Amino acid sequence: MEPVLKVEGLKKYFPVRSLMRTVAWVKAVDGVSFEIMPGETFGLVGESGCGKTTTGRTILRLIEPTEGKITFKGRDVTQLKGKDLLWFRRHAQIMFQDPYSSLDPRQTVFNIIMEPVKFHGIEVDDPEEFVIKLLESVGLNEMHLYRYPHEFSGGQRQRIALAKILALQPDFVVLDEPTSALDVSVQANILNTLKELQRKHGFSYLFISHDLGVVKYMSHRMGVMYLGKLVEVGPAEKIFENPLHPYTQMLLSAIPIPDPELARQKKRMEVKGEPPSPINPPEGCHFHPRCPLAKAGLCDKKEPPLVEVEKDHYVACWLYAKA
Amino acid sequence: MAEETGEYETREEYEMSILDRISDRLIDGFASFIGLFKKDWRRRNQSRIKEWKLMAYAVNRSPPTLLGLIIVIVYIFIGIFGPYLAPWPYDFFPVNYNYSTQLAPPGSTYFLNVTQLQNGYIIHYTTYIHYMLGSDTYGRDILSILLSGARTALVLDIFIILIGPTLGIILGLISGYYGGAVDETIMRITDMFLAFPGLILAIALSAVLPGRIQNFLNAHVWAQTFVLKLFALHPRDVNNLGKLLAVFVALVIVWWPGYARVTRGSTLTEKENLYVEAARAIGLPTRTILFRHILPNIIGPILVMITMDFGGIILTEAGLSFLGLGAVPPIPDWGNLINQGSQQFPQAWWLVAFPGLVIVTVVLGWNLLGDGLRDILDPRTRRSLEFKLKKKSKGGEASA
Amino acid sequence: MPEPIVEIKNLSVYFYTYAGVVKAIEDVSFDIYRGETLALVGETGCGKSVTSRAITKLIESPGKIVNGQVIYHRDDGSTVDLLKLSDEGIREIRGNEIAYIFQDPHSSLDPLYTVGYQIGEAMEVHGKVRNIKEGIAKAVNILREVLIPDPENRVKNYPHELSGGMKQRVVIGIGVANNPRLLIADEPTTALDVTVQAQILELLNELKRKYNATVLLITHNLGVVAETAQRVVVMYAGKVVEIGTVDQIFHNPLHPYTTALLRAVPNPLGKIEKLESIPGTVPNLITPPKGCRFHPRCPFAEERCRKEVPKLKEIEPGHFVACHRY
Repeated sequence: MEPVLKVEGLKKYFPVRSLMRTVAWVKAVDGVSFEIMPGETFGLVGESGCGKTTTGRTILRLIEPTEGKITFKGRDVTQLKGKDLLWFRRHAQIMFQDPYSSLDPRQTVFNIIMEPVKFHGIEVDDPEEFVIKLLESVGLNEMHLYRYPHEFSGGQRQRIALAKILALQPDFVVLDEPTSALDVSVQANILNTLKELQRKHGFSYLFISHDLGVVKYMSHRMGVMYLGKLVEVGPAEKIFENPLHPYTQMLLSAIPIPDPELARQKKRMEVKGEPPSPINPPEGCHFHPRCPLAKAGLCDKKEPPLVEVEKDHYVACWLYAKA
Repeated sequence: MAEETGEYETREEYEMSILDRISDRLIDGFASFIGLFKKDWRRRNQSRIKEWKLMAYAVNRSPPTLLGLIIVIVYIFIGIFGPYLAPWPYDFFPVNYNYSTQLAPPGSTYFLNVTQLQNGYIIHYTTYIHYMLGSDTYGRDILSILLSGARTALVLDIFIILIGPTLGIILGLISGYYGGAVDETIMRITDMFLAFPGLILAIALSAVLPGRIQNFLNAHVWAQTFVLKLFALHPRDVNNLGKLLAVFVALVIVWWPGYARVTRGSTLTEKENLYVEAARAIGLPTRTILFRHILPNIIGPILVMITMDFGGIILTEAGLSFLGLGAVPPIPDWGNLINQGSQQFPQAWWLVAFPGLVIVTVVLGWNLLGDGLRDILDPRTRRSLEFKLKKKSKGGEASA
Repeated sequence: MPEPIVEIKNLSVYFYTYAGVVKAIEDVSFDIYRGETLALVGETGCGKSVTSRAITKLIESPGKIVNGQVIYHRDDGSTVDLLKLSDEGIREIRGNEIAYIFQDPHSSLDPLYTVGYQIGEAMEVHGKVRNIKEGIAKAVNILREVLIPDPENRVKNYPHELSGGMKQRVVIGIGVANNPRLLIADEPTTALDVTVQAQILELLNELKRKYNATVLLITHNLGVVAETAQRVVVMYAGKVVEIGTVDQIFHNPLHPYTTALLRAVPNPLGKIEKLESIPGTVPNLITPPKGCRFHPRCPFAEERCRKEVPKLKEIEPGHFVACHRY
């Protein structure tokens, strides 16, 4: 099967300016590659500042990539212009983290959902009925049609955002921490809706989150990011069962488990340090200053390549690669 | 999936005053009127209509805003009909027929032996003129000039507000949204204009411009007729238009930078909102994002500023007239009256007092309205207003 | 029988807003035992933060403590009702015997002063040192205790020179500077990354052991609760719905809300079949539902739940629940 989206060597550097001159580069995304199959959810986890959000936005060209190739349904996204770019915009969508600022407060729900539909020239017989159907499919109803966003709760706003995405019938949606601003009980609801829509419409998701539990629940495959690089990629089940990269292991040992018994049994690993600034990342493997298994002379000198350790399970660590 | 549906249908029972009923009627009438042309408009905009009604209730409960609104409505009414309501035309000079009408005090009455040329005949008649608010040096009735002068002020207001803020808003939006070199360029130009004291720039311009404008008007008859109609002036005054319009142009030029600044600032914060990025993700062109999404969200403070400026423009224009720039007699103009009066003060105090009172009242009216609007448009104070309404209706159940 | 350090009895806090009286917490009662870590859990707006602040009268206008007692047991055995103390009296306790750690380390430090000064100030206010200079000298030791590397130099740093995790360590340092008996940590790790969160929780545990202090941990993260607390108080819409040990709460939840909440959280290590969500929304606290506040969302609600407010009942030793089913 052809992947819906293929990202190869994606890089995004932001200039750090001082007195109108570029003095340094923030390597927010530094050589990221992955694929997403039709109907698949690819999870992207990492701590703040690891570049996961930038990755999502660069793929959609909301930020222009510095380097790399993004192939969406066989076409190179980075080269698209004019009409072709609009085609891409219609088929690739994004859902944002903050439901309070992602909807225009001056537009009614009807307008919010119809605007992209009208703009992309999608023929709709009865706009009102069309929107009502969409609202119903995300758990809202026609009562909400001509309301303004401020009349809704956080969870309901995320539903409106979902209906808006559904209206365009995209193939691929970037979900940028769609539930991190919500309470757990509402979060479960949104996640289930997302899953149901995926089953119904065959969407592919790029699911970005810092919450490992949520990523595990949502993703088929996932990637772990650290300082702009993917350190481990593989099926979500495998990564949680058998994390290979020391950073993934550290993450898993650091997340609090909502079960006191499991928490007591959990393998504990010493967690130390904080993610360094992406302006001057450490040489070699970016993780080596925090890594308990770092080998002097190797990890701090040379960058580890991403190698396949078991089937479909890739890791970038000198423990598994030959120098 | 029946999560969090409903429960938003909270019907508020307000204690309705007569004013509320009137404003409800007006808004409903307006909605039905639009409904005549756009089917379903009413139903689709029910939230908006509710919002409008709430705003109206808020105005009804704020006496200063109400006072401001009344003054403003009266001002606009007189601005439109004033020249026709004036008992005497502005260019009728009684001093030609009875020398003692010069600087007549308020409440005095004089007889005039008028000799006029009408339709080729010389006609004589005797009439009397009652000066309710006194007369100026030409014996003209001040009340009449004040009424006709409202047109000059209103046209000036509308003209400047239409051009200045529009220009400023567009430049501010572009500057704030694009940032970088575009922003730098626009803002440095704006700074240049702001660095000059506005009044001095206007003075300089109104000294340079009149000749050119007059030449243009003399060359284009349609423009002449249009401007004369606009100000309700007699064709005889066509040669005075240059100076009058020069003030307009001068004021427009000094009036936009403030708006550019304010709009840019608001745009900078507003564009950080995710809905802007969401609009980009759909592929909407920048134009649509700026005018359909960003502008309606930042227009509140700008509207307040515009309202206040309606008063500010009158004040500035009066200042310029006082300095002898702009409208020259006999063109009816409030500032000009004060200019005349300053030489006769304090003997002919009415020349200063009445136009001054009118200017103060109108400016105050606009400012009161602006203050009220600020409270109504600001979501935080608006909410408190809403709740104040509710509290009353529930008979102090929620008293602190 | 464990001995309580703080007994909260029938505490009610109302907020008088434009919209009406928000009954933020009503009739909240629970004990905090000496030496334990007690977690206060609940979703946004359930009143957990308000409860923790009301303990030392840290409620600001338009809020008001309308009812209740907070009995504080001193180490020497004497007791005092904190809510009856004067402003002066409560200030002597606050930050001294009962200290707070707030959620956002970025805004809980004053950017204009060095971290050493801020720790020193906290000690000077309560007369633990004679002047700030001495306090700054002692601050070095405190920074060492909260595991900040190179404390001699860090003491001279301004908050913006430190990372988020380091700042939270400083905030904790200020909290423990006066050797408090009760440390109230209000979402201390919510603003931090997971790896940093783990370190901060570890640190809190260690300090608690070292100072033999009691910790009241306020959080919405059930994982954090399971890993750090011994006992749990679950709150919903301004009411306590269940109290028990961690094992009781997580393995034998009694209240339908607790059960639902646990089913809604994805466990990264366990098998997840399907998350279950709670239907409906958190009620408006101006006009909360009559009877049990959870009844509109409860699958087991019956006539009685709509009318009668359930009282906390002890079902098994140490396990209390407020539900008509028991």
